[in-house]
Amino acid sequence: MKPSRFEYRAPGSVEEALPLLRPESTVLAGGQSLVPLLNLRLAIPELVVDINGIAELDYIHADDGVLRIGAMTRQVVLERSELVRRRWPLLHQAVRLVGHPQIRTRGTVGGSVAHADPAAELPVALTALGARFHLLSPGAARVLGASELFLGPLHTAREADELLVEIEVPEQPEGAGSGFAEHARTHGDFATAGAAAVVGPGEHAGIALLGAGPVPARADEAERALADGAEPPEAAALAAQGIEDEHRRALCTELARRAIEQAAA
Amino acid sequence: MEAGLSAGRLIGHPVRRREDERILRGRTRYLDDIDPPGAAQVAFVRSPFAHARIGGVGVPDGLEGVFAVLTAADLEGRVRHLPVQGFEGGEVSTEGHPVLAGDEVRYAGQPVAAVLAESRALAEDAAELIEVEYEPLEPVLDARSSEVTMSRWHKVSGDVEGAFASAAHVVRASHGLPRLAPVPMEPRGTIASYDDADDLLTVWVSAQDSHRQLAGLANVLERPEESIHVIVPDVGGAFGSKGAPGPETMLVAFAAVMSGRTVKWAEDREENFVASYQGRGMEADVELALDDDATIVAVRARIWADLGGYLMPTTAIPTHTTAMLMCGVYDIQAADVEIVGKRTNKVPTGPYRGAGRPEAAYFVECTVDVAARELGIDPLELRRRNLIRELPYETALGWTYDSGDYERCLDLAAELVEPERRSDDERVVGTGFGMYVERAGGLFETADAELLPDGRLLVRSGSSPHGQGHDTTFAQVAAERFGVGLEDVELRFGDSKEVPRGVGTFASRSVAMGGSAVVQAVDALKQKCEAVEARLGRSVSLREIAEAEPGLRASARFESDLVFSSGAYGAVVEIERATGALRVLRLAAVDDAGTIVNPLLAEGQVIGGSAQGLGQCLVEEAVYDEEGNPTFASFVGYSLLTAAEMPPVLTAFVESPSPLNPLGAKGIGEGGAIGTPGAVANAVADALGGVRVDPPFTEDKLWRALREAGS
Repeated sequence: MKPSRFEYRAPGSVEEALPLLRPESTVLAGGQSLVPLLNLRLAIPELVVDINGIAELDYIHADDGVLRIGAMTRQVVLERSELVRRRWPLLHQAVRLVGHPQIRTRGTVGGSVAHADPAAELPVALTALGARFHLLSPGAARVLGASELFLGPLHTAREADELLVEIEVPEQPEGAGSGFAEHARTHGDFATAGAAAVVGPGEHAGIALLGAGPVPARADEAERALADGAEPPEAAALAAQGIEDEHRRALCTELARRAIEQAAA
Repeated sequence: MEAGLSAGRLIGHPVRRREDERILRGRTRYLDDIDPPGAAQVAFVRSPFAHARIGGVGVPDGLEGVFAVLTAADLEGRVRHLPVQGFEGGEVSTEGHPVLAGDEVRYAGQPVAAVLAESRALAEDAAELIEVEYEPLEPVLDARSSEVTMSRWHKVSGDVEGAFASAAHVVRASHGLPRLAPVPMEPRGTIASYDDADDLLTVWVSAQDSHRQLAGLANVLERPEESIHVIVPDVGGAFGSKGAPGPETMLVAFAAVMSGRTVKWAEDREENFVASYQGRGMEADVELALDDDATIVAVRARIWADLGGYLMPTTAIPTHTTAMLMCGVYDIQAADVEIVGKRTNKVPTGPYRGAGRPEAAYFVECTVDVAARELGIDPLELRRRNLIRELPYETALGWTYDSGDYERCLDLAAELVEPERRSDDERVVGTGFGMYVERAGGLFETADAELLPDGRLLVRSGSSPHGQGHDTTFAQVAAERFGVGLEDVELRFGDSKEVPRGVGTFASRSVAMGGSAVVQAVDALKQKCEAVEARLGRSVSLREIAEAEPGLRASARFESDLVFSSGAYGAVVEIERATGALRVLRLAAVDDAGTIVNPLLAEGQVIGGSAQGLGQCLVEEAVYDEEGNPTFASFVGYSLLTAAEMPPVLTAFVESPSPLNPLGAKGIGEGGAIGTPGAVANAVADALGGVRVDPPFTEDKLWRALREAGS
C-alpha cells in the first residue's frame, strides 16, 4: 500500500495553485479520501497539488446573511463554529456525523464536496440548503448549484484546471428548523442512507437524501407537499418514492421522516 | 525462606496488567519496528483471479531498485509446499499450500511472485510490472456444490436410525455462519537473515509462538531445526491467524538464505484482508430426534466447510472440533455427524477465535430453539431437561467433558439478562440463549524457572503472549507458588533459543497448560531452594540461596488431556420495524473456565470475545462477488464494531475446577466468541416470532424477515 510515484507541489496561494492544475494532477486538501486512494493505487496522478498551505482558503464568515466557507476550512472548524450552529444548524448536525473526530480534524469542507462521495454527509446537507459552489480557473470563475456540480459518484462538473475555492450558503428563513438523520453499519462508518431537511415557517422546505441515488438530489415533490401542509410521514414517503429496492426505500423514508420531524419540531 | 514483601495469595486476584504501561507508552517493539539497515523489502505479486491457469511469468529487465524477483520456478526442488495437519479419524488431503503458485492459482490474493527491492514502494512499483499470463477458469464459490473434498470425518455412535424411526418428534433446521476476516490490529510480518559462516537462519516473525514457526520453517525449507533461530517480538493480536507460518514467511526465509541479504516483509492491511486465512464459513443441516417428554435422543448433522483453495497447515482442524462438539452440553446418547471440507476458490480458512466451536454451538443451540418452538416448550425448559448433569461425561462422539455445572451457568445467564419479549408499532423485542462447551488445552506445555543472583525469579515459558496478558497471569502463578512478590518475577517468551520447546498460544490453553507448567517448574525450583536452605542449616533469603548455589534452575513439561470450558449466554435484542435495524440491548455472559487466576483479565477476555461474537452478528462477513473477488479488502468493505455498538455485557463466572491440572484452570479466551452468536440468533428469532435468519443480521435481512413474520 504505497502510492505510485508522483510529483508534489505545495503552492502558497490560489494564484500559484491555478496554473498547476491539469488533467494529470490531483488536488490534496485534507487527504482523508485521497491518501487512501493513492495508497491503494486507485488514484495514480502525475502531480499532487497540496493546497494545505493556502491560508486564504480557510475561513467561515457571514456576509449580508450569506454564509461563506473557504474550501480549506477543516470540518472540525465548521463543527465548532457558533455562527454555523446558530444560523445554519443543518451543517452542524451533518458534519458531526462525518467519520471520527480524527478525520474531521484533517478533513476539509471543500475536499468533501470535490470528492463527491455519494455516502458523504456534507454534500447532502449543502444540497438541502441550496448551496452554491465557487470554482476558479486561470482567468475565469463560475458558480454552480448542487445539481450542476454533482454529476455522479466521485464525479463533479469541476474541470481539471478549476479549483473549488468557496461554498456559499444562502440565508435561511427566520425560524427555520433543520434535521439530519442517517444509518451507518457502525458509528463513524460510511452512511448507507440518510436525509437532510430544512423546514421553514411558511412555504420553505429543503430535503435531500443520501444513498438514494448516485448524487445528492433535492426531493422536489416532497418539498412542495410539505409547503402545502403535508404531514412529515407523507412528505417522507414522497421523498423516497423513486427508490427501487424496497428495503432501501423503507430505510430512506424512515430517515427522511426523522429528519423532517426534527426540522419541524 | 523469607517471603517477598507483597507475597501471599495472588491467584484469584484482579491484578492489573503489568505489561500495559510499556504498551500504552509505545515502548513495545512490533515486527515492523525492527528495521535492519539495508534489508530487502518484499512485495508480493498476488493473483487478481479467483481461479486461473498460469501460462508464464515475465520479469522485465532493469526494474529500478530491485534485487530479485522470485517465482515458483526459483523454488522448484528447494522449497516444499506447506505441510498439512490431519486429525484423529479424519481423511485429510496431504496437498499443501504452495509457497508461490506454479501453474494454477486458486484464490484472489494468492502469492504468485515476490519482488525484493530497496524499499517497499519500489517493490510495489516493480510488482505492478511483472507480467503474469493468466487463463481464467470458472471459480467454485459454494461449498455445497464443490466437487473437491479436501477433508472428511464421519462418525455414527449409538442407534441413530432407531432413535429417529421411533422418535415422537423430529426437528430439522439448516444454519450457516459466513466467513470472517480475523483482522488483528497488527498485520502479519517476517524478517529473515542468514549467517553463511554458521549456517544460521534467524527469523523474526509476528506469530502466536516460536515453536510452530520453527517446525514449519524446518519442514518447508528442509533445514535442521538447530540451524534456525525464531524470535517472536511483541505481537499486536492474532486471533488465531498467526499460528502456523504462511507461505509469505517461508518465502522471506528462503530469500534470505538464497540471497544472503536480510529480507523483510511487513504485510499491509489490504494483504491481510485478502491473504490471511479466515474463520467460520460453515453450513449445516441438523436433525434432532426427541421423545414424548422432549428428551433429545439423537442428533444427526451434515456439515459443509468452505475451506478455500488449499489446506493451510491447520485448515482442517476446526472442522474436527465442530463435528466433535455436535452434542453440545446435552446428554444425547446417539449421534451421526459428518463434516466435509470442500475446496472453493477463496483464501483458505483456519483457526479464528473459537475455531470450530462457535460453529458447533451455533448449529446445536439454534436447532434446540427450533425444537422448543415446534414442541411448544420454553427454550430454557427444553435445555434444562437435556443438560448433562454428571461429570466427567463421555459424549456419544467420544470426548470426555472433565468438569462443569451447565445448569448453574444457564440459571445465572437467565437471571442476569432479564428476559423480555414485547412488540409495538415501532419495534419488536426478543430474548434468546445460547450455551456452549469447548475443548481447551490439551497436548503439553513447558516452563523453566531460574533463581537469579539477586534472589529474583526468572521464568521462561513455552507459551507466549499476543495480547492475553501472560506477563501478569503467569507472574501471579509463579509468585504465589514461589512465595515472592509479583515484582520479583520476570518472564521471558518467544525466543526459540531461550525458551524451552513448547506448543504455543491457541485453543484457550495458556493458563491451563502454560500456567500449569509454570506451577510445576516453580515448585521444583522451590524444592531445590529448600534443599539448599536445609543444607545451610538456617533460615536464609533467596539472595543468600543464590549466592550459596548459583544457577539454580528447574524445568517442567506439563501434559494433559483436553479440558472443557462451558457457558451460557443470553441476549435481549430489539428490531426496529421501519428499518430492520438491530440493537442488542444487553448480553449476559456466564462462563465456567474452572479456577480463574485473574478475574479482571478473564472478564476482559469475555468482553473482547463477545465483541467479536457480536461483530459476527451485526456487521462482519467476508463477501466474495460472483467472480470470486473479495469485496472486503479494506475497512470500507469490512466493518468492525466500535465501542458505540457494544451493549452492556453482564458477566459472571462459575468455577468448576478442572481435575486435570494443578490450577484447576480451563480456558477463557474464546467463550465470548463462541457463546454470543447462538444467543443473539435465538433472540432475533424470538423477536421475529420464529423466523430464522443467519448472521450477519443486517437491517435489510431483518426488515424482510419482519415482513415474513407479519404475513
